[in-house]
Amino acid sequence: MTRKSLFALSLATTVAVFGSAGCGGAAGESNQGTGARVRTLTLGGYTTPREVYGREIIPAFQKYWKEKTGEEVRFEESYQGSGAQARAIIGGFEADVAALSLEPDIQKLVEAGLITHDWKAKPYGGMVSRSIVVIAVRPGNPKGIRDWDDLRRPDVQVLTPNPRSSGGAMWNIAAIYGAVTRGHAGRGASPETVLAEILRNVPIMDKGARESILNFESGVGDAAITYENEVLVARQAGQQIDYVIPRSTILIENPVAVVDVYADKHGNRDLAEAFVAFLSTPEVQRMYARYGLRSVDEQVARETQDIYPPVTDLFTVRDLGDWPKVTATLFEPGALFDQVTTSLAKGR
Amino acid sequence: MSQYAPATAPGPLGLTIRALVGLYIGVLVALPLAALLQKGVAGGLLGIWEAVTSPIAADAFVRTLWTAGLTAAINAVLGTATAWVLVRYRFPGRTFVSALVDLPFAIPTLVAGVMLVVLFGPQEPLGRRLGESGFPVAFAEPGIVLALLFVTLPFVVRAVEPVLVELDPAEEEAAQTLGAGPWRIFRRVILPALRPAIAYGVVQSFARAVAEFGAIVVVSGNIPFQTLTAPVHIFSEVESGRPEVAAALSTALLGIALGLALVARGLRRLGGLHA
Repeated sequence: MTRKSLFALSLATTVAVFGSAGCGGAAGESNQGTGARVRTLTLGGYTTPREVYGREIIPAFQKYWKEKTGEEVRFEESYQGSGAQARAIIGGFEADVAALSLEPDIQKLVEAGLITHDWKAKPYGGMVSRSIVVIAVRPGNPKGIRDWDDLRRPDVQVLTPNPRSSGGAMWNIAAIYGAVTRGHAGRGASPETVLAEILRNVPIMDKGARESILNFESGVGDAAITYENEVLVARQAGQQIDYVIPRSTILIENPVAVVDVYADKHGNRDLAEAFVAFLSTPEVQRMYARYGLRSVDEQVARETQDIYPPVTDLFTVRDLGDWPKVTATLFEPGALFDQVTTSLAKGR
Repeated sequence: MSQYAPATAPGPLGLTIRALVGLYIGVLVALPLAALLQKGVAGGLLGIWEAVTSPIAADAFVRTLWTAGLTAAINAVLGTATAWVLVRYRFPGRTFVSALVDLPFAIPTLVAGVMLVVLFGPQEPLGRRLGESGFPVAFAEPGIVLALLFVTLPFVVRAVEPVLVELDPAEEEAAQTLGAGPWRIFRRVILPALRPAIAYGVVQSFARAVAEFGAIVVVSGNIPFQTLTAPVHIFSEVESGRPEVAAALSTALLGIALGLALVARGLRRLGGLHA
């Protein structure tokens, strides 16, 4: 085992131990000042929406819940990469609510028997926010990059994380694959050829999306395949980055679900379900939109059209045959990504 | 009565201590190792073979072994030289240099990787110049070796230093009186005394280098068939939901490290017999 995963494991264990201790202590505990009951909700999230949860959504929910029930809610938050978070929760980090970056990670919790309800039977299919895969470029777009095919040019250096270590990077490869198979990119070339030509231009495959965009910000590469929200957040932080929306790209949808086993164990079912339902309200949808994420709510999406313009050909993973098929076609050992990297090595 | 007995004598105290140490090492090292082995060989030896011989993994293993080997070899020479300078010379800033040698152990290796990228990244002045002259360091194999040298620096230095300090000057003086030159004295008198310490430091460096993840994942670029190393590849397998493959690969890595440690021990014994 790598030191990294050992570290993650021990961290998860520590968080779990302290997390559950916190819950035990909080049950029935009362606030000394007001006499109101204080309850603790544990949120296990992926890293991207950390700011919007911490700064806007959680304070708003605390206010809402207090007005509704008189109870105070304290949040235990933990954020890490989506896959790592899913493993931590399976490994015993007792999150009441899981907010992850992609459906297969929630599916892992279902397979582990921790989520027992039909989590997709919700408004927007259990999804609370969206983004799209875009191409980040240098200010003023000096290399004139407009679409996927420009990333095939030999004079363009491209950054994208390794899809084998980054769940997020799977979106990038799937976006290119979809755009080509749907006839919006590739100029007649096969998906293998297009992917090989783009991956040949990749000097660094970072282990995660965050590291990749940080390397781009520090000056490596002419273009980075990333998500619209990453670019918008970087720009909010003052980074000089432009981006182009390809004619055809994939819609990323981020799921949230109550983790039944832990929510019931902590006696938090009502609270956890109320929190998840709260995330779909227009009020919270506008908060996501302020932090770079597209809204699942049509009304809010219309309001924010200037920041989040519509895409000519927007497709979803379902259009490519859903996750199991995409994983089998693209990412399993011996599948397209492996073939392309192997052929690149032979061609060198 | 037992308080007057020699520390190694059998008796309730000796038994207790031995049992405690056995339990400590067992829980700390043997138990996790057993868990890994159990998972690693779950798919059978064939499973390990298949995992290791997949083209990406085989290439990553070869890269890990040669970079770790080169690191250990460089450490053997420059680590000994560093210890030599620190023990035999008095110069201003010596304590400072000595403290610097230990620093790599106090810095998270991930940070070590970040520092190297800051220095040698293609967008930095030094890194750009090196890249333009055809010798890129960051996101290339030299970066891997550099990162490994950084994180393993203290091993040979700290293994050799105490032996040098304890070395009896009378032997060197005798050799000198008999007409031996400085190089001959070093080779015939000093080096044989240092050899076990150097070997110990080298084996430690090698084992540490084979396992290094944090610094490499930042500095290497992780491109399959170009800069991907075995630990980073194992991490990828964990992340893409194949813990059984990761365990098989880890078992193989462990086997290689263990085998080489045994070889080194054998060589040392052989060297000891000749001396």
